[in-house]
Amino acid sequence: MGPIMQFTSGARDVLPLALGAALYGLAFGLLAAQSGMSALQTGVMGATVFSGSAQFVAVERLAAGAGAATALIAGIALNLRLLLMTASLRDILAPRPFWQKLLGVHMTTDESWALFHGTRAKGGTPSYWYLVGAGACMMVLWVASTTAGAIFATALPEPRALGIDFAFTAAFIAILRGLWGGRRDLVPWVASAATVAGLATLTPMEPSWALVVGGMLGAIIAGITPSDA
Amino acid sequence: MRDIALITLGLAAANIAIRLGGYYLGAALPQTGAWARGLKALPGTLITALVTLQLINGGPQEWLAGAAALGAAIVTRSLPLTMLVGIVTIYLLRLWS
Repeated sequence: MGPIMQFTSGARDVLPLALGAALYGLAFGLLAAQSGMSALQTGVMGATVFSGSAQFVAVERLAAGAGAATALIAGIALNLRLLLMTASLRDILAPRPFWQKLLGVHMTTDESWALFHGTRAKGGTPSYWYLVGAGACMMVLWVASTTAGAIFATALPEPRALGIDFAFTAAFIAILRGLWGGRRDLVPWVASAATVAGLATLTPMEPSWALVVGGMLGAIIAGITPSDA
Repeated sequence: MRDIALITLGLAAANIAIRLGGYYLGAALPQTGAWARGLKALPGTLITALVTLQLINGGPQEWLAGAAALGAAIVTRSLPLTMLVGIVTIYLLRLWS
């Protein structure tokens, strides 16, 4: 498949996820407008930061009266998982020139990245352009929906009322099903889940840190397990 | 207003640094052996962690909907269908409660 075909198939496959994100985009635009952000500022933030959860947390902190530094740190802490995500993209990014590496990592979101690995696990051969296509589709809908939310900041549907808040959990479950590679994955996955559950319920640790610790611990266990076990 | 510009700039810079830094970190690690196995397992363990956190933040309704979504994922292996089953299940559970 050529680059254009890969790009369009990534964009098409991510569409259900992008539509779910767009509903959150509307809600984010509403929050941004309430925090005094213009539609232009909202759009610029969406395109340059391009991370829903970090944008939500930072602007929410700001609206709650926390200082800019606190809001910034909260947003950054939430995004540390991106470090682990782009680390797993080396095989498609390494042969690319720098500007394409930059584009590729910027187009890496929870959704485009998970879809990429899910498609690969299902036996597909998603390329660099598949990831970029999925990311670009996410970005277009994210910028459009957040800007629209800031402009029409009235009478927007509440995602929770429609059950849309569960869309991502369901999507990630579907992607996990595709990533499941047999009993070899059992111990790392259970360790990851147990670590997050323990840290998030028993300690005051920030959930975003618990997420990173759990994911890394699972990967370490997978790493130290001999491949023929 | 100044805060908004500061946060946009700060988050954008931090995100590019994190995203690019992750790639270079992954590229610098050995391509075989334990490091490679760990990196290969990372997508699964990280998404498992994400789903676990989302389910912990929910309650019995989310757990039931999660089970329904898992069932749909196993049977259909389809992303849109799994999302649909999850959303409809949670919608109905909340409607009836």
